[in-house]
Amino acid sequence: MARCACAALLEVLAAGCVALPGMAAEPRAASAIEGDWVRVDSHGSGTFGALADSFRAASLTPRGAAALAQLKYGQRELPATGPHKVGEPYVVVDRPCSGGPFTEGVLGIDPDSGAIHVVVARAQVLIAPERGGARVIYLDGRSHPDASRWTPRGTGHGVGHFEGAVLVVDTVGLTAGSVPAGGWRTAQTHLGERFKVSPDGRHLSIQYTYTDPAVYRRPHTYEYQFERLPAPSYALEEWCDPGDPKERQSIVPPPQN
Amino acid sequence: MSRAHRGQARPPAGALALMLVTAWCALVPAAALRAAEPDAGADLSGYWELGADSRSVPAAELAAAVTPAQVAAHARSDAYAIRWCNLLGMPFLMDSGRALNLQVGGREVLLYPEVQVEPRHIYLDRTAHINPEDYDPSTNGDSIGHWEGAVLVVDTVGFAANHGLTAIPGGGYRTASSHLLERLRLLPGGQVLAVEFTWSDPQVYARPHRYEFRYHRLPPTFEATVRQRCDPYDEDRARFLEAATPGGFAAPWASPGKP
Repeated sequence: MARCACAALLEVLAAGCVALPGMAAEPRAASAIEGDWVRVDSHGSGTFGALADSFRAASLTPRGAAALAQLKYGQRELPATGPHKVGEPYVVVDRPCSGGPFTEGVLGIDPDSGAIHVVVARAQVLIAPERGGARVIYLDGRSHPDASRWTPRGTGHGVGHFEGAVLVVDTVGLTAGSVPAGGWRTAQTHLGERFKVSPDGRHLSIQYTYTDPAVYRRPHTYEYQFERLPAPSYALEEWCDPGDPKERQSIVPPPQN
Repeated sequence: MSRAHRGQARPPAGALALMLVTAWCALVPAAALRAAEPDAGADLSGYWELGADSRSVPAAELAAAVTPAQVAAHARSDAYAIRWCNLLGMPFLMDSGRALNLQVGGREVLLYPEVQVEPRHIYLDRTAHINPEDYDPSTNGDSIGHWEGAVLVVDTVGFAANHGLTAIPGGGYRTASSHLLERLRLLPGGQVLAVEFTWSDPQVYARPHRYEFRYHRLPPTFEATVRQRCDPYDEDRARFLEAATPGGFAAPWASPGKP
């Protein structure tokens, strides 16, 4: 009996020492955030494109608004053609799989309907979105590099730390581009994020705050909600071959009765 | 000796446990207590790169059924994957020419070299592969790993037969029936990561093909670089590559059967 009590005490105290404050990555918080997550339509928007409709719109400076107005994004879609014959495919995309914003892991910041896979290691958090690339968040206490020596990229330069169970991240050095709910970002923009897992471990919220006096009149804030994928979830491969003629196609009219 | 007297001579069990745990907390880093990581000395996490002296690769002994025409066809398929900026996958991912970011988490190990690949996931939280009926073959395959002491043992199946760069160092190529076993361990000092690769595939090899890479650890201050770009619509680049592929490219979508 005494041995059982001692073993139980050891377990309790050992668990306690894992959670001692001041450690670079608190394992309990880390293990909660690690996993596979998929973004959900928490506001009942109905369509994925409308997910941000309920967010408070960004308040841009004239410079920020001008930059956003210049935005040209999207695949090079071809003009519509008349009805096609049976078996004659509609060719709707000129240059499929050409990368665009997805290839550098930018979906690790602004996830779409594909899952994100979060790994928490000793000195890094890695976020691997399902459409390619990976985002690094350093936990080792380093500072952001001098802007003059940094090549902006889709994932920027992210540094983070745990405040209790919340992962707090600051990112700069992003490529210029749009931000949900009418926002804009540049290499000088600061993106603050707070990753928080629900007590039951099944839900993740990420609160985003963009700050840049050259672009925003006030900090631009919104929040995404995620659900944890059930075990044994795993990362799917997003295969897209730009050399395959079918990647350019949409519907192939079937035979009509 | 009375019970009370024994109590004075020896500390109570609870106090002894407290002392042990206090010492434990002082000596053992938190990361080492995580189930997936054996001890701090075996922490494989970091940025790694291969040098000119990093590869010990013997010539593979191919199965008798492998013909020169099959080898040439795979080479043309590989050239297509490079030409069209396809995901290149394994085993290219482990020798891409860029620093390899390897991070050990509690549930999985993730490897990413910032080239034309999907990050590689090695799952530590399951001991069986995904049911082949459910798993779509991929360029990286389905990898599961476990620790044998300080050695990370990784087992991979589920490769796509003709997606990505299939060439295997030393000869041969991966197919849908390929099985890769890897053993990752730090050499003394922790600055060199040795990875032993063993490919088994009766369609390709007469016997398992084994080789070893030794990666050098980059400084902890190393910063990830910009992902290597690849533009399939760059015509000058296409002509450059076509000139080195006299037999022409072999497109996987033009071949019948599963990927």
